[in-house]
Amino acid sequence: MDRYSFSLTTFSPNGKLLQIEHALAAVGNGATSVGIKASNGVVIATEKKVGSSLIDVSSLEHMAKICDSIGMVYSGMGPDFRVLVNSARKSAQKYRQTYMEDPPVRILVKELAGIMQEFTQSGGVRPFGVSLLLAGVDERGPNLYQVDPSGSYFPWKATAIGKNMINSKTFLEKRFNGDMELEDAVHTAILTLKEGIEGQITEESIDIGIISTIPAAQSGEAKPIFKRLTTTEIKDYLSNII
Amino acid sequence: MSNRSANAGYDRHITIFSPEGRLFQVDYAFKAISNAGLTSVGVRGKDSVVIATQKKIPDKLIDASTVTHIFQITPYIGCVMTGLDPDGRNQVMRARQEAADFKYKYGYDIAPDMLAKRMANINQVYTQKAFMRPLGVSMIIIGWDVERGPQLYKTDPAGYFAGYQATAAGAKHQEAFNYLEKKFKNDEPANVEDTIELAVATLSSVLSANFKATDLEIAVVTKDSPMFRVLTTEEIDGELTRIAEKD
Repeated sequence: MDRYSFSLTTFSPNGKLLQIEHALAAVGNGATSVGIKASNGVVIATEKKVGSSLIDVSSLEHMAKICDSIGMVYSGMGPDFRVLVNSARKSAQKYRQTYMEDPPVRILVKELAGIMQEFTQSGGVRPFGVSLLLAGVDERGPNLYQVDPSGSYFPWKATAIGKNMINSKTFLEKRFNGDMELEDAVHTAILTLKEGIEGQITEESIDIGIISTIPAAQSGEAKPIFKRLTTTEIKDYLSNII
Repeated sequence: MSNRSANAGYDRHITIFSPEGRLFQVDYAFKAISNAGLTSVGVRGKDSVVIATQKKIPDKLIDASTVTHIFQITPYIGCVMTGLDPDGRNQVMRARQEAADFKYKYGYDIAPDMLAKRMANINQVYTQKAFMRPLGVSMIIIGWDVERGPQLYKTDPAGYFAGYQATAAGAKHQEAFNYLEKKFKNDEPANVEDTIELAVATLSSVLSANFKATDLEIAVVTKDSPMFRVLTTEEIDGELTRIAEKD
């Protein structure tokens, strides 16, 4: 079945891995996503580009919960994202099976990045056409990581990926400060996305996920839980902005 | 600096990235669906969901009863395949296998959205591994979900899938989408007759055709009758007559 025992991603004469560069171009064509690490939590958000009003928006899963304490969002190719969500979830459960607790964010990130790297070197496959933003809380506190199609990963205080990443990052550089709290971070994330969105920003056109280091603030859980904001909650945030 | 691809044009032959980050093989698979020449629609109403497709018999000598693009996957889930017929049959066989495996493993019927996701994930593999090309079909799945009622999903060669209020696939899918978007601005169809009527009206409009019962295939799933059911030619005739007499 696998006649392709040779790698499809090979070095060009000037030392580049062009398939990875093209994968990054695919990411650059995707809807913008942003992530901000606050002093007491992390927020990740993305623009939900819905191709038609006929699509049942509740069936789309742009923001994925990997385990209780980690969530993930992407820019790039949706189908590739689904594959990585499944890998991440499986990996998190495997960690739980051994250690009886959720993996620290950097451990999960390393696993995922390793999988993505494999697809840049294994035979007969192409790299993933997504960049990921992972948000989570572990014993080190709030974490925000970016993973690229190459398998490189970067911890960030605040970042953006996708179509509008350059302008968004400039915007974030001006607005970010280390003392920000989660509420302000959500507010800033929405403003950042708004810059890149053509037309009106509504509670149906963006997806936001948050995790707070202070579980009690999130309705009485014993530990930090990643959750997607409901459309009503997003609407409340938007009404404070416009 | 020239961006000379070390893969020298293979990006058009297998699913690796082009310099702009596109997968040409996936794009070409979409073209194959349009080239097949048929259009299908799916419409979800309040208590029912309907799929409808053209029935074109290219040769009078063909036994029309053996030509179909509508397939049952489980007692409660069915689909219409649009695009390359052999690829469509392959995907139906796989879908039936996946649904049966699910039932065996977990003891209950697979839900339409889970089947759609599974088929979409399989499609995604073909876009990432070089050994198999993407399939040139779009699968519109309808079914009855015991928790959520009538469901309508569509998968495509890119591995994308979504739930829909109404959808279309094939040569005139864009026109059908435009037509349906306008209609759904008002209201969703209340009963199964209206749902069928909207599906038929969409096809009539985008194909500029007045259908006979033998030119269409229709299948339904309703709250009162949640089993996937293909309408007989007589039943289709009945619906067309009812729609004609309404005006």
